[in-house]
Amino acid sequence: MKNFRRHPVVDTAIKALSRNRLQTVLTMLGIAVGVATVLAMMAVGAGAQRSIEQQVRAAGLNQITIRAGNWRPKVTDSDEAVAHQGDARESLRHPLDRLNDDVLPITFHPEDDPMEKHDHPTARQRLGDLEAGLGSAATMTFDDAEALRQLPGVQYVAGGIHENVRVHLDAKRWFTRMHGTDVMMPSIKRAWAFSSGRFFTAREQERGAQVVVLGQVVADKLFGPGATPVGRDVALWNQQFEVIGVVTSATWVVQPAAGDDQFDAVYMPYTTTQRLLNLSKLNDITVTAESSGDISRLSREITKLLRVRHGIGDNEADDFTLITQATKALTTGGLPPSVARAVASNVAELEKVTLEQLAMTMERASRTMTWLLAAVAAVSLLVGGIGIMNITLLSVTERTREIGLRMAVGARGKDVMRQFLFEAVVISAAGGLAGIVVGMIASIGIARLLQWATVVSPWSVALAFGIATAVGVFFGWYPARRASKLDPIVALRRD
Amino acid sequence: MIGVHDLAKQYHVGDHVVHALKGVSMAIAAAEFVTIVGPSGSGKSTFMHILGCLDRPTTGRYLLNGRDVSTLPPDELARVRNETIGFVFQGFNLLARTSALENVELPLLYTRQGVVKASERRERAMRALEAVGLTDRADHHPNQLSGGQQQRVAIARALVTQPSLLLADEPTGNLDSTTSHEVMEIFARLSSVRGLTVVVITHERDIAAYGTRTVDFKDGLIVSDKANDARVPAQVG
Repeated sequence: MKNFRRHPVVDTAIKALSRNRLQTVLTMLGIAVGVATVLAMMAVGAGAQRSIEQQVRAAGLNQITIRAGNWRPKVTDSDEAVAHQGDARESLRHPLDRLNDDVLPITFHPEDDPMEKHDHPTARQRLGDLEAGLGSAATMTFDDAEALRQLPGVQYVAGGIHENVRVHLDAKRWFTRMHGTDVMMPSIKRAWAFSSGRFFTAREQERGAQVVVLGQVVADKLFGPGATPVGRDVALWNQQFEVIGVVTSATWVVQPAAGDDQFDAVYMPYTTTQRLLNLSKLNDITVTAESSGDISRLSREITKLLRVRHGIGDNEADDFTLITQATKALTTGGLPPSVARAVASNVAELEKVTLEQLAMTMERASRTMTWLLAAVAAVSLLVGGIGIMNITLLSVTERTREIGLRMAVGARGKDVMRQFLFEAVVISAAGGLAGIVVGMIASIGIARLLQWATVVSPWSVALAFGIATAVGVFFGWYPARRASKLDPIVALRRD
Repeated sequence: MIGVHDLAKQYHVGDHVVHALKGVSMAIAAAEFVTIVGPSGSGKSTFMHILGCLDRPTTGRYLLNGRDVSTLPPDELARVRNETIGFVFQGFNLLARTSALENVELPLLYTRQGVVKASERRERAMRALEAVGLTDRADHHPNQLSGGQQQRVAIARALVTQPSLLLADEPTGNLDSTTSHEVMEIFARLSSVRGLTVVVITHERDIAAYGTRTVDFKDGLIVSDKANDARVPAQVG
């Protein structure tokens, strides 16, 4: 640094810039505003991108649930499957006609049957090994989950066992859903918040500990609103469980309500469920994709892998069902199952379409913001650039004699040009650095004020600095060239 | 050392042409101390600019150390100015807020080999300041120096690249008579002791008398060119 400062070009620049200190600072300020805006613009853009991703994930749009058993008739699997079967007549039929052949709607699951009696937990143990096969529910294993974890593009994998249970607290009891699940679940359910306590740990899952996380609804029903159930014991299947946490919704969009599947529910390690109910299979596996646009590809990969793992021949139907959030939305969104299925079976890569539509809407909003900021940035960089040109021209005029002298003692045109170009770049680069600092603060400010996530990436900082330097070179060029073209005789005579 | 043959220079000022030089021929030997006198507009300054490679003649030839420099491109002329010629100006032309030493170093930033190393710059600049007797003022800024001292710094700057030709355009124009004579003594010494070729423009006869030869310009032509027999002694007061 000391050597750098001693370099005559640098030294001269510092002297020259300190000569018009106020003008120099004001010019820097102009560039700083421009650069700060550029940076904020990119931060907002990148932040919007990220918040789209987050919303998509929070909505579970990057989720695939693989349910054991295949409750759908083969013909509606997808157009692809139909084509694969090579049944020309079948594929020529109108999709709505095909629906009439259906036996059961997609949404059907024996455990959802409202007529079912839930008197005795073990009576509902239809997940036994003996019942394996097409249409049965006991085809997914922990090893399947481990195999899915290895697929590229997979973010989290959680196996699950689901039962309806009665939770007892002394004399009080509450009939609810029990989810035996994986430690990864809170990462998958992004819209979860713990009103007290925590989720179970990997260690607890490993040893099948008798710990339970209550949904907010269950906690309120058993302990009363405002109570702290953590540390207390509840009973399921006549076994004691320690309450370790209470989970509730993190967003106002979803409110815990009696009868919902998430917060009117209790959670425990799936290992605990397997141990107590003497099960070795899983009801389902939930997989999240790293990228929400990747769902279609991942679905195909999962199907391929599981078919191989389950030894399913080319002409046999899957013994599992893939459910993505998009198909779920269609089938539970109040549409008659037949209509929903008509859409689902006729729109290829449905979930992708939905995702893209959502992403597009949000992107359009952020693009408007980005363009607005881009316009501000362009204007302030232009003004800043003109400022640089102005101060450099002023400097050339003030130092005309000096330029003449330098030329007289041997400086070439390009030496003079380099000097002034360097000074212009020093102003713009210094302004750029200041702008980066201001821009970062502004990004944080925007994030706080507008509740709009912003992301300042190192790449955008580098770009902002690059733009500042480029502005210096661009607007310094003309004055520097003018200086280099001066006639030394005329320059030396100038007062 | 210097040979000019039928040197002519025309300027275009608006619509009409100004004939600043109308065919000047002369030769200057090495180590000669030539003073040029003449009224303003006589073409002496234009002649000096061409000698100093700051300007090119319209017609005619200029041989410097046997090399025709009248048709060199600008970058080559800059090199000649840097290596062969030292300039001293009437108005000193020192950089403000820059020490005497740094001012003297200036030509060393533009050598053909690029910027001379800082330590070597300093050493050579100190030697040049020594030649004008100002080593004790090396760290002073121009505004802390008297006019005579400033002009001596300017002479040191002209000497720092060890040129063979020293050109001075009215070097005493801004100085009182005492310091004028001091400065002229330096030029005389540089010529006689160091063997530098020195050309000084002036319009004061007593200053011109320092030269071993005085050339008179008028209307773009040389009207007289004669050797001075004896040096005028320094006049005090």
